[in-house]
Amino acid sequence: MILFSLFLFLMIFLSLSMGYIRIPITDIFQILITKTASSLYSFKDINETHLAVIMDVRLPRILSCACVGAALALSGVLFQGILLNPLADPYTLGVSAGAAFGACIAIILNLSNAFVSVPVFSFIGACLTLFSVIFLSYSPKNPTAGLSSNNLILSGVIVAAILSAGISFLKFIANEQVSVIIFWLMGSFASKTWSNVFIIMIFLMAGFFVSIFFARDLNLISLGAKSASSLGVDLKKVIFILLLSGSLLAAVCVSISGIIGFVGLLVPHMVRFITGPDNRKLIPLSMLSGAILLLFADTITRAVLPHEIPIGVLTALTGGPVFCWIFKKNRFK
Amino acid sequence: MEIRLHNVSFSYDAGMTIKAFSGSFSSGSFYSVIGPNGSGKTTLIDLISGFLKPLSGNIEINSLPVFSFSKKNLARLIAVVSQDHTVNFPFSVKDIILMGRHPYISRFSLPSAEDIQKVEKLMDICGISHLQDRKINELSGGERQRCVFARALCQETPILLLDEAFSNMDIHHTLQMLQLVKQSVKEKNRIVISVFHDLNLASTWSDSLLVLKEGELRAFGSSTETLTEEIIKDVFQVDSIVEYNQHVHAKQVYYPMH
Repeated sequence: MILFSLFLFLMIFLSLSMGYIRIPITDIFQILITKTASSLYSFKDINETHLAVIMDVRLPRILSCACVGAALALSGVLFQGILLNPLADPYTLGVSAGAAFGACIAIILNLSNAFVSVPVFSFIGACLTLFSVIFLSYSPKNPTAGLSSNNLILSGVIVAAILSAGISFLKFIANEQVSVIIFWLMGSFASKTWSNVFIIMIFLMAGFFVSIFFARDLNLISLGAKSASSLGVDLKKVIFILLLSGSLLAAVCVSISGIIGFVGLLVPHMVRFITGPDNRKLIPLSMLSGAILLLFADTITRAVLPHEIPIGVLTALTGGPVFCWIFKKNRFK
Repeated sequence: MEIRLHNVSFSYDAGMTIKAFSGSFSSGSFYSVIGPNGSGKTTLIDLISGFLKPLSGNIEINSLPVFSFSKKNLARLIAVVSQDHTVNFPFSVKDIILMGRHPYISRFSLPSAEDIQKVEKLMDICGISHLQDRKINELSGGERQRCVFARALCQETPILLLDEAFSNMDIHHTLQMLQLVKQSVKEKNRIVISVFHDLNLASTWSDSLLVLKEGELRAFGSSTETLTEEIIKDVFQVDSIVEYNQHVHAKQVYYPMH
């Protein structure tokens, strides 16, 4: 875990220095120290452009990217644990489709001038979707059978199907805004601000504490409902809380950066090979790995490739084949 | 320790799965539940364990309603070996058995040396020590069942509910586990309620038999009273010969060929 944390820090510094303007690592250190601990020590000869690039452009982008990566991975761990299905990911319950639908509406109604409205709309869309999925799969008559993984997955698939038809319809009537919609759906970290960082950071921290608090209960849930219940897990409560945290994390991620696939699915899978299935180790390590992976991908699109590719496309294009390889290698050895 | 059910009814949808069940179970006895498929055996176990809520009637442990206990306290009273013993993620056998100590370990602390010691002792008794580092989902059905059994024993509860807990075990391990359970009933004054399909094992090992048909209690008492050719014909619709067998000191059922 210490190794992974160190790696993440290294990655952040490397990523800070890379880009259209190359900034030496020593300058970054000077800037960061001046900014965070100016009372202790401050460097006089800091390049003003570098300062602006680091503090206003790169650092918020990098931090929001790392946080989104961590949040997606955490959300993936939670969904796979609750739904007892290693194929579950943050978007299984249709949260992404709901967020996309909300964003499309905001774009079509041309609310994007109001600047916050697209993320806000997509967050509302994601939450409404989540509640309708939970409503569909919950029956007050038989509360233990409700919220079962089959019910949840099925409701998620149905709601997502309806919403994606809705998105297609919105694209159809969108005329010239259709490119805005498509670009938003593909996901990007371009022009992220400090307020984005704070929002995702708050959700990430809350999500982390909640999931670590229930990590052992999540382990027990993998024994099946009856056994978990007989070992003292309050199933309804634990499942509801974790489901809500996982979905809110996913919703915040989508509203900040669009739809970024494969991180939530792939990272918990890979980390499980290292840590085993124990969620107390899996949760923190998945978060670190998710942050590293997404930051790596974002740095490549931003600084290495000649043209910035939407990050959602990059993660799916690279993550997909990697997943195929890991799957084949580990399933049939 | 006493479990008392009074007029308990439960249904999943239209038909009643359990109809006005009343009965009580007391310490130091081994109870067996027998009955045809769909007669409500598992539902009865789920009701007693608090997994299902009865539609009407009440279930009490030491005169306190089951639902007045917190989940954690209930897990210190009742351990369940359920029919479904699939584990969805590749935990090691040792981790699985350690989960039996969950009700005793507070949220952020690690298992104590005593917990580990208990786990190791039980793995030894149940003959699964050699499997302790294997992944649970790579084991055979019978081995997995023994692990679940060890986990339930690790809970150290005064009440143990077994739902066809021996269905995948070979005869050697079945007898070994039954011996273990029987011993703890006598020594630790436990209540054991076990669902059986094998009438002869039920008759041999238990102090009392409950015969269920279509959610109704047909007979409840010692095997000498309850195990008769008439009841077997009524409940299972099979012809049988029931005789006292001096080798097992209990009634045994034979099914003659026509």
